Amino acid sequence: MKTETWKLRDIILMAIFGVVFAVVYLAVFDGGMALSAALAPAGLSNYAFEIIYGVWFMAATLAAYIIRKPGAALITEMLASAIELLMGNSGGLTVVLTGLIQGAGAEVVFLLFRYKKWNFVSMSLAGMLSAVFIFCYELYYLNYIALAPSLLIGQLAVRFVSAIVFSGILCKVLGDLLARTGVLKSYAIGAELKQPDVYDD
Amino acid sequence: MRSLDPACKFVGLLVPTFFLAAFSNPFWNLVFFALCFLGLCFSKVNLKVFVGIMAPVLLMAFAMFMTGYHFPAQGNLPVNAQSLHISSSAVYNGLLMSSRVLAYAAAGLLFALTTDRIIMVRSFQQHFHLPQAFAYGLLAAWGVFPHMAQEYRRARVALRMRGQKAWPVSPAVLKPLLVKSVRWSEELAIAMESKGFSGKAKRTQFQPCHIKPVDILFLLLSCVVWPTLLFLL
Repeated sequence: MKTETWKLRDIILMAIFGVVFAVVYLAVFDGGMALSAALAPAGLSNYAFEIIYGVWFMAATLAAYIIRKPGAALITEMLASAIELLMGNSGGLTVVLTGLIQGAGAEVVFLLFRYKKWNFVSMSLAGMLSAVFIFCYELYYLNYIALAPSLLIGQLAVRFVSAIVFSGILCKVLGDLLARTGVLKSYAIGAELKQPDVYDD
Repeated sequence: MRSLDPACKFVGLLVPTFFLAAFSNPFWNLVFFALCFLGLCFSKVNLKVFVGIMAPVLLMAFAMFMTGYHFPAQGNLPVNAQSLHISSSAVYNGLLMSSRVLAYAAAGLLFALTTDRIIMVRSFQQHFHLPQAFAYGLLAAWGVFPHMAQEYRRARVALRMRGQKAWPVSPAVLKPLLVKSVRWSEELAIAMESKGFSGKAKRTQFQPCHIKPVDILFLLLSCVVWPTLLFLL
């Protein structure tokens, strides 16, 4: 992918989206840990993080929805994972790989829609395919293949719901709200709106 | 570990985890965890930071043990209980899952706690040929991180002061944050470009990252010797 097609402003925006959703994830992480601890004795702790898993798909979906360029979802997810690496937590080492896999999942969906459909369905499907891609990786890398199929199906179902809520519904709402403020006039989503309001802060 | 080149260290710690994933043996997972732990001890990491990060990892390892114990795959387990003389395959399965969490987390911690973040981006840029615009764009965005965390807290407090309850992922909290993100990204890009930054122009390196013999040795040990041991033993 040629970097000439990307403006510096786009790249920084994509990386900052990675920062925003890393901050959001950190905010919900403690709740996830508490729920995980509560569910641990029953062996159901995986579900705690499945509920908030969709937050990880948000940066890619929202950036793609705003910028609407081929590669936006993949690059944003990679940059978001690099931010995670810079944060220096214990999962940072492999997160660059998971970013690549998740981003590829979202990118495939937008590619199948030929980067022309930007709605709830395409964004939800992008999140769901990201979920499938990363789940396949986890079957091998985290050895989920050694777990009962019923548990895995349940996990994937919860992850799908999380992907739809966060990357489908929430990203669509946030993208539209943001476009209406007028700050996205120079991006593809902003150009679509005829008379955006001026955001007053 | 601190003196290793970050790009080499990254590859050298990531590649062995793939071999661990392929072999599915709690013994090797724990050996890898012990090696990483030794590396951390010799690197003089801050004990307080280490314990703080390790606590949730231990909880996750326990949680994964319970998951593996309660929900083992029936019949087609790619594990062998006899190899560790453990009578219950459920216990073995739990051990397999939890030891893997420990091994990966230890590798992640070894990298995170012994690597300078700015040098890491420079090393990745130079050795992995990361485009300049992405490397510097990433560093610019990283500089925003503390402000973003502060803005997030501020947005939540502002809503609370008005007596409004908002979820951590509520659009009411995220909207002002995203507006600021867009503005900061534009301001940062303008600031960088006005100082002459261009992703296309060739640049000299302020801090060149060189691969030393010790980096090659580390790569050989982790990417050649370690997998060979796993295959042979």
